[in-house]
Amino acid sequence: MTTTEPRSRSREAADQVTAFFDAYRRHEVDAMTDLCADNADFFYVPFEVWGKQRVLRGDGKVKTVGKTIWVGLIASFPDLFTDVHSVEANDTGDVVVTCDIGGSQQLAWGAAEPRGQKFSEPHLFIFHVDGDGLIDRISAYWDGAGINRQLGHLEVD
Amino acid sequence: MKLFTRKEQAEDQAGAAEEVTPARTVSAFLTAFGKRDVEAALSVVDDAVRVDIHPTGLREGGSADLRAFLTETATAFPDLLVTVKNLIETGSVVTAELKVEGTQAAGYLGAINQEKHLDVDQAWRFTVSGDRVTAVDAYWCQNQLYRRLAVKRLDQISLV
Repeated sequence: MTTTEPRSRSREAADQVTAFFDAYRRHEVDAMTDLCADNADFFYVPFEVWGKQRVLRGDGKVKTVGKTIWVGLIASFPDLFTDVHSVEANDTGDVVVTCDIGGSQQLAWGAAEPRGQKFSEPHLFIFHVDGDGLIDRISAYWDGAGINRQLGHLEVD
Repeated sequence: MKLFTRKEQAEDQAGAAEEVTPARTVSAFLTAFGKRDVEAALSVVDDAVRVDIHPTGLREGGSADLRAFLTETATAFPDLLVTVKNLIETGSVVTAELKVEGTQAAGYLGAINQEKHLDVDQAWRFTVSGDRVTAVDAYWCQNQLYRRLAVKRLDQISLV
């Protein structure tokens, strides 16, 4: 007879987030969103697109705003990579991830026209995984100026 | 059967209240930072701390670099307000989501003073050993910061 130790909440949460980044690495956006709750919150904090009348921010839901941003990002950077450095979780479902994200620009991204440049930028992600094992919140932080400099886009728009 | 006196119970409660946790150490740092008290902030930071402040390009810096950054921030924003929105403890790592606000009164990270109001959401990741911070990683968008301070171009930060 074999017995299996029940996985801790922190282990489950870390595994769910690791699966999310595995899907991200494969550019499988549907698989990424399938790991999230239907109403999961999404905050890409540095994401701001300033228009004449309004500012578009990277706030909303994973399955609307998040999915749109990921699809656009992968289209603009077809070789987009995610290099995860650390995954830390606790028993309340919080998971903190440090990683580098980068790629070679092929299409416009925000106000940055494609110049064939590459970027690689440190990111910090904060996830929360609910009691059902689904990601119900994603926040991310990075330096947009660092990315823009690498892409040759020097206007602060 | 053992009976406890009121005094013993009070001492036990005081001991529990003073228990050092990574989150308490980081809260002490951030509270002092919000009060622009650089020395108090650094009092919970290990002398051998490793500091990465990604938006400023600082990698593998040390205590002197952290002191310089905190001092520059405290000097540039006399009405500095640091609001901690979320504090997450994952073992010895504590991650804080916070908002930094203030009105610029001196040059800051290369941007000349135009008395603009700053509000930038940030995330700071701390590693804590015992009662000391041994590593700091800070993340925010410098594009957002420069936009608030009326900088127009990344290659001409000091020009208006």
